Amino acid sequence: MPVDVGKFIKAPDYDIKVITYRDVFQAVACEEDYTGDECREMSAVIVLDAAEMKRMGFHEGKNVRLTSKWGSVVVMIKKSPREEQKGLGFMVNSPWSNALVSDEMLNGIPEFKDIEVKITGSNDEITSIKELFML
Amino acid sequence: MTEMVTWTCTGCALLCEDIQVRVDNNRIEQVEHACLKGKARIFGCKHVAVPAVNGAGVSIDDAINEAARILKGAKNPLLYGWSNSTSEAQMAGIELARTLGGVLDSTSSFCQGITINEIIKGTIPSCTLEEVREQADVMIFWGANPMSSHPRHLSRYSYFPRGELRQRGYEEDRTAISIDVWQSRTAKICKDKFYRIPPGGDAEFMRGLMDGLSGRVPKLSFDFDVKRILELAAVLKKAEFGVIFAGLGLVYSMKEDFGLLSEFMDTLNRFSNYSLIPMAGHFNMRGFNQNLYDETGYIYRVKFVDGKAASGVEFSVVEQIKHGADAVLVVGSDPLASLPASISRRLKDIPVILIDPCMNLTSQVADVTIPCSTSGIEVGGTAVRMDGKSMEISPLVQGVNMSDEMVIKRIIEEVG
Repeated sequence: MPVDVGKFIKAPDYDIKVITYRDVFQAVACEEDYTGDECREMSAVIVLDAAEMKRMGFHEGKNVRLTSKWGSVVVMIKKSPREEQKGLGFMVNSPWSNALVSDEMLNGIPEFKDIEVKITGSNDEITSIKELFML
Repeated sequence: MTEMVTWTCTGCALLCEDIQVRVDNNRIEQVEHACLKGKARIFGCKHVAVPAVNGAGVSIDDAINEAARILKGAKNPLLYGWSNSTSEAQMAGIELARTLGGVLDSTSSFCQGITINEIIKGTIPSCTLEEVREQADVMIFWGANPMSSHPRHLSRYSYFPRGELRQRGYEEDRTAISIDVWQSRTAKICKDKFYRIPPGGDAEFMRGLMDGLSGRVPKLSFDFDVKRILELAAVLKKAEFGVIFAGLGLVYSMKEDFGLLSEFMDTLNRFSNYSLIPMAGHFNMRGFNQNLYDETGYIYRVKFVDGKAASGVEFSVVEQIKHGADAVLVVGSDPLASLPASISRRLKDIPVILIDPCMNLTSQVADVTIPCSTSGIEVGGTAVRMDGKSMEISPLVQGVNMSDEMVIKRIIEEVG
């Protein structure tokens, strides 16, 4: 049986900052049912600049793993329709982005909007809400 | 019996009071004028809460008794949430915290509380949304995207309407400016008045604007066309009535340098008439801050000892969940969904009581669940709009559950 060499090669990772934002459509879907498919599909997404995707070798619709010191999630890539600032990824505020946020803070306000992560291609499934909280 | 009623929406802190709702035999049949958030609030959640203790269904009385037992036995209970409750329920929550000698905090602790604090204490000038509608000619959406967070903000108050002094509306009489790290839906409306800054660059951009306003050439560490800052400063100077809508993008970026915001407002007000309105999210977030301030002199993060209140960052919800609280009462909120998982995971290790109309993520770790009616839909009361205006809200239909105010009062009876 041939050996799948590829699985022993570590996918490259890149440092980016995740910026979170609000989206009314996602907010309504999640308020209705956080455990539902619609909430997950609208939340577990990272929006990247097209040139950045090319630089990192990512394609729209593929999965990536985002890892910070405080957590790790698998989300799907979406290409931004606009040119974005380099080194940034955008995620709607949700339990998936919150999984990456530090518990360290100076004044009682966590760093929800400016999160340093490593991003790497992944063949894993999108992280489920149960996995996020080990429920 | 069918009737069309005019209703005040509790979908967000705009509290739009022009919603038309057709109610037929205690059922909501038709809603007009409401945005997506408002309709979602009216039609409710998919999974309604049921009384439970440790995952098993119980009577509402048993659930309340168990909640009281947990809270009475706790040395340092945290009472958290409150922004989706009426002011009457919030006042009951203050009384319960005082009775227990507990810690009281709301979602404003990691949202707009820091801004509301400055406004309530008078260090940052503010105004009403009606004044904005009738008079404002220049508005800055700074780190704010109301097209998603408060969908009717621009159409009802800030940009599109004709106003008493703005009869030519947005086409000629109003200038909307967006300062943000990306082109949000609101920034698109602002067109060439969108100023894209790097993450965390708000304070530096603000200093640059203050330089521009004072006739100095701004110097920035990041790449930005200085001419555009000078042009923006000129627009701000010419305003007759300016308003800054402070979003979470601004608040989070400036949280360690917040004094600069009042300096910026002072600078603007040397040239014109500027106010700031915090883009509070939940419908009565500001009510909690105002009510607690009236009672204790503090707007949030309060600990009661022998009936007296103290406030500090150590009493913030995040610090308490990390290493303070030994029991948590959550009212109308979902900390498992909204807090960093690195913090909210601890909720699995301490007793959690949830009072809410809906099953939410926090329900999954709650030891006690107490269903309540939905504020503004099934129970009325008072709420405070994002600009500080107190408003009456009326119920649309009669619910089957007690209000959160009644549940809290029942718990007070049990622990008192």
